[in-house]
Amino acid sequence: MVAAKKTKKTHESINNRLALVMKSGKYTLGYKTVLKSLRNSKGKLIIIANNCPPLRKSEIEYYAMLCKVGVHHYNGNNVDLGTACGKYFRVCCLSIIEPGDSDIIKSMPGDH
Amino acid sequence: MVKFLKPNKAVIVLQGRYAGRKAVIVKSFDEGTRDRPYGHCLVAGIKKYPSKVIRKDSAKKTAKKSRVKCFVKLVNYQHLMPTRYTLDVDLKDAISVDALQTKDKKVAACKATKARLEERFKTGKNRWFFTKLRF
Repeated sequence: MVAAKKTKKTHESINNRLALVMKSGKYTLGYKTVLKSLRNSKGKLIIIANNCPPLRKSEIEYYAMLCKVGVHHYNGNNVDLGTACGKYFRVCCLSIIEPGDSDIIKSMPGDH
Repeated sequence: MVKFLKPNKAVIVLQGRYAGRKAVIVKSFDEGTRDRPYGHCLVAGIKKYPSKVIRKDSAKKTAKKSRVKCFVKLVNYQHLMPTRYTLDVDLKDAISVDALQTKDKKVAACKATKARLEERFKTGKNRWFFTKLRF
């Protein structure tokens, strides 16, 4: 019971941080651009939805391991992640390039 | 945040005639060039893997089985899968981009890499690189 409440609170905080990144920072949405940002080492944090196909998820995690970049498994599917980004489409994975005013990079990678 | 598409990185080619083959990055062009305005790299890979050598084989047979056929190619980053392995074989003096311009220079470059890769295979190091990827 206590654990469920704690995840709800941290989940909202991720959404708030993500909204701040959308407003003030730089990001890319989508699998192709996520891989591109990892290849040229611009990505600082990767967020993957929970219904991402497992092969794609492990591929992104492998690239992130080579890059030493944190990956956050978002607690929600691609529809929820798209809504959290303020978009009207589904987002399966996204890469944060510049966090802007947000502290998402400093607080999230401990989470994984 | 660490660049990993660097020379001596082992990669797997994903598209084209050499799909599924392992290769090593010789030179990388992150920004691209005028002809290829995208990130790409010069790779040297294995066209035909060496076969399995058993103890029963004669010296002539092991020599025949340990042959490696190589290719040299410019590949887009999108068509490569990087791995965590590296292969530090010095191929920079044997292969360059202008070796790909004419056929005979390309053949000479392939022969040079064939020699280097075969001697590396015979030492028994980098065993992963010389085994065929099963898929």
